Amino acid sequence: MGERTVIPFGPQHPVLPEPIHIDLVVEDEHVVEAIPSFGFIHRGLEKLVEKKDFHEFTYVAERVCGICSYIHGMGYCQAVETVMNIQIPPRAKWLRTFWCELSRAHSHLLWAGLLADAFGFENLFMQCWRIRETVLDVIEETTGGRVIFGSAKIGGVRRDVDNDTLKRCAVKIASAAAEFEELKKVFRDDYSVKQRLCGIGMLSRDDAWTLGAVGPTLRGSGVRTDTRLEGYAAYNELKIEPIVETACDSYARCMVRMHEVTQSFDLIQEIAARTPEGPVFEKPSGYPNGEYFARLEQPRGEVIYYVKGNGTKNLSRFRVRTPTFANIPPLLHMLQGCELADVGLIVLTIDPCISCAER
Amino acid sequence: MTRNFLAGFAYLLLAPVIGALLAGVDRRITARMQGRRGPPILQPVYDLLKLMHKESIGARRTGHFFVLGHLVFMMAAGFEFFFGGDLLIVIFAFALSSIFLVLGAYAAHSPFSHIGAERELLQMMAAEPILLLTAMGFYIANGSFRVEEISASPVPALLWLPGIFAALAFILTIKLRKSPFDLATSHHAHQEIVKGLTTEFSGLSLAIIEVTHWYETIMLLGIFYLFLAPYPAAAVLLVAVVYLLEILLDNTSARMKWQWAMKSSWTTASLLGAINLIVVYYWLGVQP
Amino acid sequence: MSFLKRSPWIVHYDGASCNGCDIEVLACLTPRYDVERFGVVNTGNPKHADILLITGYINEQSQPVVKAIYEQMPEPRVVVAVGICATSGGIFRECYNTKGGVDSTIPVDVYVPGCAARPESIIDGVVKAIAVLEEKHLAMKKARAAS
Ligand code: SF4
Repeated sequence: MGERTVIPFGPQHPVLPEPIHIDLVVEDEHVVEAIPSFGFIHRGLEKLVEKKDFHEFTYVAERVCGICSYIHGMGYCQAVETVMNIQIPPRAKWLRTFWCELSRAHSHLLWAGLLADAFGFENLFMQCWRIRETVLDVIEETTGGRVIFGSAKIGGVRRDVDNDTLKRCAVKIASAAAEFEELKKVFRDDYSVKQRLCGIGMLSRDDAWTLGAVGPTLRGSGVRTDTRLEGYAAYNELKIEPIVETACDSYARCMVRMHEVTQSFDLIQEIAARTPEGPVFEKPSGYPNGEYFARLEQPRGEVIYYVKGNGTKNLSRFRVRTPTFANIPPLLHMLQGCELADVGLIVLTIDPCISCAER
Repeated sequence: MTRNFLAGFAYLLLAPVIGALLAGVDRRITARMQGRRGPPILQPVYDLLKLMHKESIGARRTGHFFVLGHLVFMMAAGFEFFFGGDLLIVIFAFALSSIFLVLGAYAAHSPFSHIGAERELLQMMAAEPILLLTAMGFYIANGSFRVEEISASPVPALLWLPGIFAALAFILTIKLRKSPFDLATSHHAHQEIVKGLTTEFSGLSLAIIEVTHWYETIMLLGIFYLFLAPYPAAAVLLVAVVYLLEILLDNTSARMKWQWAMKSSWTTASLLGAINLIVVYYWLGVQP
Repeated sequence: MSFLKRSPWIVHYDGASCNGCDIEVLACLTPRYDVERFGVVNTGNPKHADILLITGYINEQSQPVVKAIYEQMPEPRVVVAVGICATSGGIFRECYNTKGGVDSTIPVDVYVPGCAARPESIIDGVVKAIAVLEEKHLAMKKARAAS
């Protein structure tokens, strides 16, 4: 038995750019306990609904997190639209789906890069982010932003994308998809990558379920869920099969995300081909009155938005339950008994977005 | 004798220069492999000169002392090698130099550098047997531990010691701190223990560690040169190829854990090194 | 000294941001933008760094952390506030947990606008920071010569 030392992980730490602090109690290089502390990035933006009017708040909602920002903005809009009983035009729905999938692809690629970095494979990090740039190009071409799109709006989308642009984007995405397949092979087959991922950070199906894991973390443990099956936006017209892996380890979670990128690329092609003509915006009138829970699938898992309006221009309550928040208990469970060398890696396999979790 | 001294001093003067250039080329090639342009070739020199102008904070006096020891023993090891001296002395001075760095890291109050130091010790344990095997191999093949005499032998040592050569190439990765063995500290920061061994050093101390690393690289490559010493051109080519392969490996693998490092290097040591040694021993024993 | 100019090492800290700017900071390191061309290395270790890139504003909890990182950096050092919320609090200015921009806690030398700041402007900010670094170095030298 070695002597116990406490190793601080974060808030400033090269593996995870975001501030979360975990005190790792280690014996030699064996982690006995992981004690997290939070709040480094808490902004309290949910309370801003009382200061900004409900249209303006879309932009605040987008900044819950800069990585999956679009889906946050859109989820908020969707909740408010339901409260106000607005039917958004079909083209707007399809465009929203288009951007959702782009977000997912870029978020997963970003994650894959960070993961590669966490196990010290610098080249792979660079390649992931290189492909991600193509996705960002498409985002920029269609919305004008790279990470914060600002294109969701209550009643539809802020601007239309003409069909030529959509076609052009589909071609770009196809080339990115081809490059990505090569990359995926490395994650899937490389000896050293497998050495670092297989059997590390086990989370059994039952544990995942009872500890409340969501998204790829849950799917990597063999549970078939995907909020996209609820059929919001245009998902009810697309065929989506949740990607499930049963190995329950880091490798499984990694493969879930890898396949999801491929799935997203395919969906983007389909959406670009099938988006119907028509208007993209339906002007809302009046103020929201009532409450609603909206559920969407973020790249990191299921996200829930609660809005409550009181008939004035400010909502009286906004609340978001983000996927990372739900994935923290499973994470702490996985960290117990792992090796110090695996900590960064295991933390990353839940794809933590601390900014989401603390809002 | 004067020639020996000249070679030794030439090493002391030129090794940092060549080492720096090599590091620059390394970073450039790495960047190209990653689809980037990369820094100028002279970048390591710029980094070094900058570090020398920065304030050294945090590290205590003992830290400085250990870092100096690290440098001095490394220079001694390299000098002895290029002087043509005894391989065993080279290897022990080299080990001592690494120990000084480890002690320096232990002197700092940081869990990161402590863990880095522990890992460095483990890595030394993984690498040292092969270095000793190499010395023994040279002795068996040439009847001497003296570099001078080994390099003067007309038959290239590579002929006798291909297994040992391969094993040595394996641990070169450990010594160069490249993936998959960049456990204790790495050239890129993204590690669970930040910079590990070197986390607590800054300014001048860090600069000295960097220079020592260049001395180390050149001396290790010198050992590779020794394998083909009778044919200088081929030997230089061999060294270049080995170094390129190291860069390639660095860019195509993940960082492994120390358990794996130990297991794999000892397996290679015993498989390639020891078997090679035994075969050569009997072979040369049969035909004197 | 022109060497400072040629080898600025950065450390990045995420104050209370939305991540938007953070991922753009990281994007600067990758093939498309490749700041290593200018000798920039992301050290991840304040003790090795010359430039501190901070994204996001400062809240109660992160204030001591930011201070600690700043104090660990050896002189000369430069602070770059990346993104509008690092500059002034931006969209989160009215939140209850805001202390204000980064300059409410440590002195800031360069402000990079944008929400999210684009990689191009971040690189521009770093280049400006290098000039400031140089100035500080000269000032340090003068002070040392005077004493
Ligand atoms: S400036 Fe904007 S994009 Fe950047 S961190 Fe702040 S809110 Fe996010």
